[in-house]
Amino acid sequence: MGSFVLVVRLVLADVRRHRAQAAMLLLAVTVATATMALGLSLRGVSEALYEQTRAATAGPDVVALSGDTGPAVTSALASLADDPEVIAHHGPYRIVYADLTTHGSGRSPAVASGVVVHGFAETPGTVNRPLVTSGGWVRPGGAVVERGFAEALGIGVGDRVTIAGRSYLVVGIAVTAATSIYPWAAQIGPYGGPSDSSGLVWLTRSDARTLAGRDLPVTTAMDLKLRDPAAAEAFVEAFSDAHRDPAARVNLHTWQFMATQDTVILRNSQPILVVGSWLLGFLAVTGVAALAAGRAVEQTRRAGLLKAVGATPGLIATVLVTEYLALALVGDAVGLAIARLTVPGIASPTASRIGDAAGPGGATVAAATVLAVTVAVLSTLRPALRAMRTATVTALAAAAHQPRHRPLLTALSALLPTPLLLGLRLTARRPGRAVLQACSTATTVIATVALLTVYSQKERGYGLNGSSVLPNLRGELDRRLMLAVTILLIALAVVNTVTLTWTTAMEARANMAVARTLGATPGQIAAGLSAAQVLPALLGAMAGVPLGIGVCGLFSARNTIMPPVSWMLAAALVTLLVTAAFTALPARLAARRPVARALSAEAA
Amino acid sequence: MNGSDAVPNPVAGPVAGPVAEIRGLVKEHGQGQGRVRAVDDVDLEVPRGQTLAVMGPSGCGKSTLLHLLGGLERPTRGEVWLAGRRVDTLSERALARLRRRSVGFVFQAFHLMEELTAAENVELPVLLAGRSPREARRRASLLLERVGLAARARHLPSRLSGGQRQRVAIARALANEPPIVLADEPTGNLDTAATLDVLRIFEDLRTAGQTLVIVTHDERVAATADRLVSMRDGMFVDDTRLTGSSSRGLGGLIEWES
Ligand SMILES: Nc1ncnc2c1ncn2[C@@H]1O[C@H](COP(=O)(O)OP(=O)(O)OP(=O)(O)O)[C@@H](O)[C@H]1O
Ligand SMILES: [Mg+2]
Repeated sequence: MGSFVLVVRLVLADVRRHRAQAAMLLLAVTVATATMALGLSLRGVSEALYEQTRAATAGPDVVALSGDTGPAVTSALASLADDPEVIAHHGPYRIVYADLTTHGSGRSPAVASGVVVHGFAETPGTVNRPLVTSGGWVRPGGAVVERGFAEALGIGVGDRVTIAGRSYLVVGIAVTAATSIYPWAAQIGPYGGPSDSSGLVWLTRSDARTLAGRDLPVTTAMDLKLRDPAAAEAFVEAFSDAHRDPAARVNLHTWQFMATQDTVILRNSQPILVVGSWLLGFLAVTGVAALAAGRAVEQTRRAGLLKAVGATPGLIATVLVTEYLALALVGDAVGLAIARLTVPGIASPTASRIGDAAGPGGATVAAATVLAVTVAVLSTLRPALRAMRTATVTALAAAAHQPRHRPLLTALSALLPTPLLLGLRLTARRPGRAVLQACSTATTVIATVALLTVYSQKERGYGLNGSSVLPNLRGELDRRLMLAVTILLIALAVVNTVTLTWTTAMEARANMAVARTLGATPGQIAAGLSAAQVLPALLGAMAGVPLGIGVCGLFSARNTIMPPVSWMLAAALVTLLVTAAFTALPARLAARRPVARALSAEAA
Repeated sequence: MNGSDAVPNPVAGPVAGPVAEIRGLVKEHGQGQGRVRAVDDVDLEVPRGQTLAVMGPSGCGKSTLLHLLGGLERPTRGEVWLAGRRVDTLSERALARLRRRSVGFVFQAFHLMEELTAAENVELPVLLAGRSPREARRRASLLLERVGLAARARHLPSRLSGGQRQRVAIARALANEPPIVLADEPTGNLDTAATLDVLRIFEDLRTAGQTLVIVTHDERVAATADRLVSMRDGMFVDDTRLTGSSSRGLGGLIEWES
């Protein structure tokens, strides 16, 4: 009981004393776990939304589509409807390919798009009953627009649209599981050819027939309900084997196929988020480890002090680890909560589906927690072990560890201007820290290269005849996510740079004070401290460009357009300049500390 | 190492004989050419209730002797007994447990936990000993009262003067009523007024029968002891009883100051 209170008290006291550090650990872990949880939550989310839409709209198990016409098609569809495996069907119904134009209003301009028009009965049947989300169902002269399409067009109930030159009143908005999400509503193209991007509109059967009468391409479709929905694939195979009539080609799409089609929209989101979370996790470890290392001397003294009054090594380790672990777990919980709140927004960029995206599941929670614990353990392992192992008397007298002497480097740096000389010596004093800075910079450059890559893709929007008035949801989502991840990465990298510079400055303050007594100006000291970070950052930036190209190559499609090399080099240069700028403030602050105070602080 | 965690705590029962005893004690620092023999074959008995002062030039091994006595360091050779129990063979864990209850340390540099208040610093060893938080609070307020810092209980060390910090450190050393208190130059960082405060507390402790070993450079501090041991090059060169010294020493000093 007593020691439990003690551990809690010591942890709380330390957090209170080092609020900035606690906040930084919390921030780093939160950002990393939220991103990871978000990325992992996207797994299976499209399928889940499809599943829910399918349940709410009596979605068909198989959709049969034929671009051909004539008695052969009619008989093929009739034999499908009569198949003993089929327990219900809807159709055959017409799908007419046409152009749709909105009239535009104050807030949304007139736009044109390809459209497929489904001719439906005014009272829906048992299979494929689109769910009306606002307004009502089709009536003569009244069109129902698929929700994803309506959102992209910026129209609602009461607006008018022109389809193939005829004006219709929008009487309702609905969703269905019988087609892919907007803009892939046309499952097959005109005459059975390839399909182009288009939205979906329902009209009454007679309105659709009238429309088809104007020489527009038509596909005949039929929705089937099977006795065993799970066996849809087998049913399709058996039918295709039995009906090989070249005059009546029938495409059968299973519900599983349509569900898989839906996942295309999130195909890039997952790698962006998951790879992003690795990089964020890595930066979190780097930053927190730098902070922990900067406090190693203090922690060792603290451990010695506790040992002197009778704390066992076990208790000391408990205090050290509990603090970081507790903060990391709080960060983990916050990160998971953020992921839970943002999943719906990211998981469903399309309005073509209904339902809720489930939050992080058990496996995701476990993975994020493992990440958080890893950050805590990796960043405290060394200081904790050192504090435990150091003999009590030594620990009480603890001073910064004596760095190795590097005669060659010292000789070399003697030929350089003072700031560079100081910078090189500082870097040599703490090679581990230089590596951390280099890695941190490399990570930033990798993310920036990835961002440039995402932004240099030719983003084809959707509209008629190559116009791009309608948004490309998938491309937009990719860009937004990549931008968000990159901003987070850069933010953590900036925090790391400031931390590393400050830690270096605090550790080197006695040496810097001696240098000042020997005549170095505060400006030279500050430049030296900056140089100590910028030199390794230079190496990191140079390594970051090829690494970034490699990472992008790993995750992108073959036809990906890489940004020009000059852009990437510019990004590396900017990263370097920004790093230099961010080292300037802590370096100047540290350099301005009075010499006498620094010298006496070291002696105490 | 010998699993002596299970042995009943020496504080629990009355112990006959000396509170602390060392036999043939040798401590060497470093290796090869740089080897230093900080303590060189020393024997010492500290009887219950005695105030022992250790003096000697810098580097003669006084601190090392104190660290060995309190189980902060292990001897190269020889035996250390504390409250009737041999401690030089104990494991690191067992030593930590022993320090909790049987030894109170006072350092020249105070060594308070900077992030804890005065009262929390005093409660530290009590909680470590597994007592309840309420008991810890009770003892801390009692001890802070005793060192005249009741009003400063909620202050952080950074808001206390050097003398006040050292008095908190003494209260902390006494928190578990250890049979022996070891002080390494407790007044080394203090001015005369603060030194007098600390000496008054030591005088109270002596009267109350507390066993006390004080390493010091300060003649005034040594003058308050019952016995004075002088060290040189890791060896004892003199061992003197100072009869009736305390009243003379401290009394004289106070008159002298005022
Ligand atoms: N950790 C150590 N490693 C090497 N030598 C040490 C170590 N600690 C002490 N010594 C040496 O042992 C000798 C005794 O040191 P000790 O600190 O006990 O002296 P002291 O009498 O307390 O001196 P002072 O009055 O200056 O505090 C000295 O020569 C010192 O240099
Ligand atoms: Mg000493």
